[in-house]
Amino acid sequence: MTDHRTLRGPASAKAPASTGAVRISGLSKRYAMAGKAMTVLDDINLSIRPGEFVSIVGPSGCGKSTLLRLIVGLDTDYDGEIRLDDTRVAGTGLERGLVFQDHRLFPWMTVAKNVEVALLNQKLPRDRREKVIAEHLALVGLSDFGDAYPHQLSGGMAQRAAIARALTNEPKVLALDEPLGALDALTRVKVQAELQRIWMEAGTTMIMVTHDVDEALFLGDRVVVMSPRPGRIARIVDVDLPHPRDRASPLLHRLKDEILAELTREPRGDDGTLVAFPGRPRG
Amino acid sequence: MNRRVASFALALAFPALVLGWWEWESRQGSGHAYAFAPLGQIARSFAEMIADGRLALHAGASLQRALTALLIGGSIGIVAGVATGLSRVLDRTASPLITTMRQVPILGWLPLVALWFGNGDGAKLLLVSLSAFYPTVLNTQKGMQAIEERYAEVGRLYGFTRLQSLRLIAWPSALPLIFTGVSQALAFAWIATIGVELLFSASAGLGTEMMAAQVAARTDVVLVCVACVGVMGFALNQLFALLRIRLLHWLPAAGK
Repeated sequence: MTDHRTLRGPASAKAPASTGAVRISGLSKRYAMAGKAMTVLDDINLSIRPGEFVSIVGPSGCGKSTLLRLIVGLDTDYDGEIRLDDTRVAGTGLERGLVFQDHRLFPWMTVAKNVEVALLNQKLPRDRREKVIAEHLALVGLSDFGDAYPHQLSGGMAQRAAIARALTNEPKVLALDEPLGALDALTRVKVQAELQRIWMEAGTTMIMVTHDVDEALFLGDRVVVMSPRPGRIARIVDVDLPHPRDRASPLLHRLKDEILAELTREPRGDDGTLVAFPGRPRG
Repeated sequence: MNRRVASFALALAFPALVLGWWEWESRQGSGHAYAFAPLGQIARSFAEMIADGRLALHAGASLQRALTALLIGGSIGIVAGVATGLSRVLDRTASPLITTMRQVPILGWLPLVALWFGNGDGAKLLLVSLSAFYPTVLNTQKGMQAIEERYAEVGRLYGFTRLQSLRLIAWPSALPLIFTGVSQALAFAWIATIGVELLFSASAGLGTEMMAAQVAARTDVVLVCVACVGVMGFALNQLFALLRIRLLHWLPAAGK
């Protein structure tokens, strides 16, 4: 764990990310709800390249958050297989990180202490540890806020601190579960740009779930479009544009129209009747 | 500013009214003067008791008793609360007993404690400690059991050991409730202190002095002691509230 740290510090330019490949094959997940088995995810197959940024969009109930929880190992009850660099995933592990929609910083700790939480079980010498914390606070632009408490931060700052915490132990894969969902539109656009820069610098494989198609396209090398009940991959869209990206790119707009069309397509239920997506704009 | 002055004046209006009525009562004949000692008389006794150091002696003894008991009963309560909060087996074993014992008012233990430990300082301390024990154990236990799943998941992500979860998640997230427990314990300990001093009248203490004054027909001294108990209890409460805000400064404003 400590070896690659010396090779690719977070502040260094994008390093060759040789590890961090995720392979999901034949993954299904069922819940028992009120005594009835419910399929949340059905036969998910997805291969993610090392250092890739994959966005996942889909309506509520398509199991996209569940998929992330399975990848990081907070939930271990599933059929099929999730492999990280050819090792089967079992339970949580420091090589897989997760940023939640709510920042989940511990309110009783300063920002710096919260970031340090990720390093507690890494064998790092004291001075090295402090340097790593400082580097990551700088990475998310919070160098001056190490001594602040979470309740003193704005929503965007707290979420950036949470991203710093998740990146500090340099996971090979970082899952992000609607990390910007709770932010206002303006802050959201800013943090998206930050996230793009952070991803380019850190070279970590990132898998982000979002409701926002613009966000998914702006950040993702690929966008996975999911359909609900049961959650399936409906389509995978390649976004063939180099980073950093220009939001005004015509390609992004064209892809957005395609994805929205896919998301708002009237799906047919098991019995052949039309099932509408609740709360989705049409066309 | 004006509103603060107004609310302060309002807070003083009622006591002023009571004092006026009191003074009027005390002037309605000698029997009344005994039950309602005149304000002047009370003030003189107060000055006298300060001058000869009696008030400081008794107030100090009561305060020391209450705080020592808070320390003993409170720390045992916190340790027991952490233990029963973390271990289901301990919770099942000990909690019914604690809950049952709690139904007995502190003074209900008096005959037994007197029988077993006499009526010395040890017996008083035991009873007051018991009164401080209940609120701390119950609130600490509740706090330890109410760990939010969302924080526990962060611990799992970073591979926290059981000790790390306890130290970094369970304990700090239980702290606000533990403080609630200790502040209740402080109030109960103060009340119980005066209670046991009234009933076990040996050695110094405000309750003891009250009892002695009553026997000596000195209503004025009794009243000085009563006022002292009230004011000190109020002050302790306020001091603890300040300490809480200081130590739990990380709480979002809504939690304070």
